[in-house]
Amino acid sequence: MAKLILLFLKCLVLFCSVQAVFEDQVGKFDWRQQYVGNVRFAHFDSQIQSSKKVLVATEKNVFAAINTRTGELLWRHVDKIGPEGNIDALLLQGQDAVMVVGNGRLLRSWEVNVGGLNWEIVLDSGSFQFASLVGHQEHVRYVAVLKKTAISLHYLSNGHQKWIENLPECDTVDYQSVYSAGTGEVFVLGLVPNSHITVVVYSLDDGEILKQFTVEAPWLSDLQSSCSVVGKGMLTCVDQHTLSLNILDLHSQPNINQITLQSIGLEVSADFRPVLVSSQPNAARPPLSEFFLQIGPDQHVLLQLNKGQIQTLRDFKPAMLVSFATSGEKTVVAVMSPKNKTASSINLFSAETGRRLLDTTLIFTMDPNGGNPEKLNVQAFLKKDDSVGYRVMVQTEDHQLTFIQQPGRVMWTREEALSDVVTMEMVDLPLTATQAGLEGEFGKKTAIQDGLMSMVMKRLSSQLILLQAWATQLWKLFYDARKPRSQVKNEVTIENLSRDEFNLQKMMVMVTASGKLFGIDSKTGTIVWKHYLENVPSNAAFNLMVQRTTAHFPHPPQCTLLIKDKDTGLATLHVFNPIYGKKSHITPPLLPQPILQSMLLPLMDQDYAKVLLLVDDQYKVSAFPSTKNVLQQLQEVASSSSFFSLMQIRGSSDLSTELIWEVVIPAEVQKIVSVKGKRTNEHVHSQGRVMGDRSVLYKYLNPNLLALVTESTDQHQERSFVGIILIDGITGRIIHEAVQRKARGPVHIVHSENWVVYEYWSTKSRRVEFSVIELYEGMELYNSTVFSSLDRPFPPQVLQQSYIFPSVISAMEATLTEKGITSRHLLIGLPSGGILSLPKMFLDPRRPEIVSEQSREENLIPYAPELPIRTEWYINYNQSVSRVRGIHTAPSGLESTCLVVAYGLDIYQTRVYPSKQFDVLKDDYDYMLISSVLLALFFATMISKRLAEVKLLNRAWR
Amino acid sequence: MDAGPSAGVPVQSNGDRFKIEGRAIVPGIKPQDWVSTARVLVEGEEYVGFMRTDGSFAVNDIPSGSYVVEIISPSFRFEPVRVDITSKGKMRARLVNYIKTSEVIRQPYPLQIRASGPHSYFMKRETWGWTDFLMNPMVMMMVLPLLIIVLLPKVVNTNDPEMRKEMEQSMNMLNPNPELPDVSELMTKLFSGSKGSSKAGGSSKGTRPAVKRR
Repeated sequence: MAKLILLFLKCLVLFCSVQAVFEDQVGKFDWRQQYVGNVRFAHFDSQIQSSKKVLVATEKNVFAAINTRTGELLWRHVDKIGPEGNIDALLLQGQDAVMVVGNGRLLRSWEVNVGGLNWEIVLDSGSFQFASLVGHQEHVRYVAVLKKTAISLHYLSNGHQKWIENLPECDTVDYQSVYSAGTGEVFVLGLVPNSHITVVVYSLDDGEILKQFTVEAPWLSDLQSSCSVVGKGMLTCVDQHTLSLNILDLHSQPNINQITLQSIGLEVSADFRPVLVSSQPNAARPPLSEFFLQIGPDQHVLLQLNKGQIQTLRDFKPAMLVSFATSGEKTVVAVMSPKNKTASSINLFSAETGRRLLDTTLIFTMDPNGGNPEKLNVQAFLKKDDSVGYRVMVQTEDHQLTFIQQPGRVMWTREEALSDVVTMEMVDLPLTATQAGLEGEFGKKTAIQDGLMSMVMKRLSSQLILLQAWATQLWKLFYDARKPRSQVKNEVTIENLSRDEFNLQKMMVMVTASGKLFGIDSKTGTIVWKHYLENVPSNAAFNLMVQRTTAHFPHPPQCTLLIKDKDTGLATLHVFNPIYGKKSHITPPLLPQPILQSMLLPLMDQDYAKVLLLVDDQYKVSAFPSTKNVLQQLQEVASSSSFFSLMQIRGSSDLSTELIWEVVIPAEVQKIVSVKGKRTNEHVHSQGRVMGDRSVLYKYLNPNLLALVTESTDQHQERSFVGIILIDGITGRIIHEAVQRKARGPVHIVHSENWVVYEYWSTKSRRVEFSVIELYEGMELYNSTVFSSLDRPFPPQVLQQSYIFPSVISAMEATLTEKGITSRHLLIGLPSGGILSLPKMFLDPRRPEIVSEQSREENLIPYAPELPIRTEWYINYNQSVSRVRGIHTAPSGLESTCLVVAYGLDIYQTRVYPSKQFDVLKDDYDYMLISSVLLALFFATMISKRLAEVKLLNRAWR
Repeated sequence: MDAGPSAGVPVQSNGDRFKIEGRAIVPGIKPQDWVSTARVLVEGEEYVGFMRTDGSFAVNDIPSGSYVVEIISPSFRFEPVRVDITSKGKMRARLVNYIKTSEVIRQPYPLQIRASGPHSYFMKRETWGWTDFLMNPMVMMMVLPLLIIVLLPKVVNTNDPEMRKEMEQSMNMLNPNPELPDVSELMTKLFSGSKGSSKAGGSSKGTRPAVKRR
């Protein structure tokens, strides 16, 4: 019976071969982190006192609401990438958020509580200049949008246009700003640089021009950066040449009142351009008459404009950042000033008097590995005793948001740099000290010299240590189990990070476009370390390489990041420890020449660091690390190593390169889009495939094979094509070439084992198509022991098949496992946010059109033109991942398990089991059943034994 | 070659821009509860639209061409629709068919897209029920013969010599080659042996009298 049940269990395992997530696995080993990007506009929702929302619009074209208590997203809307989804302005009025999108193309209004759209209208074309809310008689009902040539006024309630008026002389005058103060007039401020200011006053009711005048201002070159309206229509501009404030009353006759800064006792730092900051808390009322003037990198002055006179309310020095905040009728200013090297303090001051408010100090601790604070967003609120309380959201250079409550408690931080991960690696965690000590017992040579006795002692002691560790673990488990679940802290710190028995937990080293590096624990998603690299060019390309893994204790693991300026080609190296994030003490070589290419060789120096080769624009090669040992090794292998960029290294004291092959791809017809080699850590378990007739079809496993993707330069839909060229990287021989006519990119490609899968857009049928190429040597191997590109007389057999895919895709990668026994799946990121795990079985050029006995024997699926998308195959169920840019796969210690990280706007980490969990007991393994069956059998034997005894006795009596 | 009257290159220049309108309905769910997570995608992420608080949507600024319009929601499944826009701005909607791209099955325009239910992301765990176990063909195959072996000797009176003769005759007919061990015989041997008969290793004829004596 037990056998039967086991058999039945086995059958179960075998039959459900389709991969999917079970509902009880949700959140067990997967996590998602949602990001929004670097914040451009932030507004606190202030319609009710207890509101806990901050609305942000970001550089990633995302509009979102963040819960201020937890830092989690309440809702998020992701617009399209690029300038067409760019958010130009965000205005908040009550529960409506008005947004200008796409250089003034669209005007949108959102309902901030639900996160739904109120309305969206298309604006007339014209480049966007300015948007502002316009109020009338204490009510804000309109929004004004200023474009290069026209100004339009829209109702806030439905977006309908109230009026649109052309701007006079718009070809010469650069209109930059709109001002209104609830008086029924709309002032449009324009400028002819270094000549004069033009002011046009429109009537709010019908758009009629009420007044129009110009004022000479030859010193003014930009309105928005140096001017601001202060008080009742006083346009205040700062002139950086004469260092004076120029005040123009917009309501009365045009003449400029000039007040030099010296006369009010202010001195501007040398070479500093003064900046004016004012505040208009309510669009239906004039702005405050108090304003900030920044007169030095760390000096701000709070000034007050009173009847044409300027009064200094308070001089803040040093002060890095200042901000206005309003709650109800009260307006306060928050000033951030440095306290010591690692902390700064934020204080509140009354805006009207400049007096410091008591008990409003807040300490902001700066991360030594982070950037400097960039912006303050203050949420002020009235406490019960009518005093002002506040919380503050600090934005730093490294795109971090920190939300702080008094007296300096950090409520949450968000690392928005992670919305733009460029490249990543997964590094094995180190062994714990005890584990490492045990390992040390074997490797050392000294052990043998010590003699037998001490070795036995050592063995026993290490066994004892293990026992002790096990006991403490058990005790901890027992101890934790008694505590309520909420109290059990599972904090991940550097100290308790260690490799688990199946190597499922790894360190994710992520490099972001802003130049901030992160080390994230793959199990929980906790950020273990972060490091902000300053002075990273904005257009940098990053290449992350693991030079030394954790396997070489006591040498620390080592990662090298190559940061290259895309324009100049100049590069720098950053060497760090991937587990702790610390910069290595090894000084990387300075690279004075632009770098063309880098390559990590399998060679190691005496410290087990892999050698990194860099080729500069003179085709000179430099090695890192470049010790004598390395150079010697390099000379030995130099004749045989080659860069795939068609160069060979020649061994000499200074390494040089030599051209060995060249393939010319006519640039006027097609351009190379991508070059894909195979992954170096990939293993192929099976050399061939067993056919239905029991013969073997051997795979063509060329480790030097490169797949080149080309796209036609002609973009016309009838003539465009996508080409794929398979080239041997050593000899330059073209193994195979395929052209997909009437197709265009973007092309996503996966190159692994003996197959290449690529995806393109078919312009003819307007659909996405997949194509798979598989290479086979044939029925026998030419040289089964070693593969050499130079000695392969027969070209491989090429099989190809294409399919329709019913969705556009955004990223593609194949699963990867330790030994390559597990079947492969393709992981496909879809724009819908799902990550589809498509069995490679569906992309097999041997799928037959007519099913035969042999194909059934081989388990081939009959050909169907359309590939299925089933939501059961989504590895991330409803945890959508927006804008997937890349998918990183890494093997774990278990053959069945592959670790997957999808990154884009969000980060999602999970594990996949392409062939089910065949090497561990499944989660739903029924311990109850198996034990109950065993128990039942045990009792059955006991009872039957007893019965048999009774029967025997009876028979003996007879 | 191209499907539909409106198909063609999306206008590259600043041609007229149009708007795709429609409404999405999730039966039984208020729009407020799902619109914040939903989006309208036109041809992948080429054009993006958002849901209004009442479940309607409009994607603005789209040049003429043919597009697949999808409503994306992590909780509900919506069927995609192909929308053709002529260069004059005439619209029509049809079912998406990637294989026969020119086939036209009209859909209402402005779009009316009903959710066809929640997404099914999860596999069902195999749960253990005794009925599943008993109804398994393997178990059935084992249990039925067992029943026959145990019950048949009780139903048929083996003490009757005529009956026995008849049975033996039929046995011989079924088993033309007496050299081969009979399966059923083997089975009976096995099971009657396990029934606790003391005579181990007795031939089938040896055990039968034991049964008879009972």
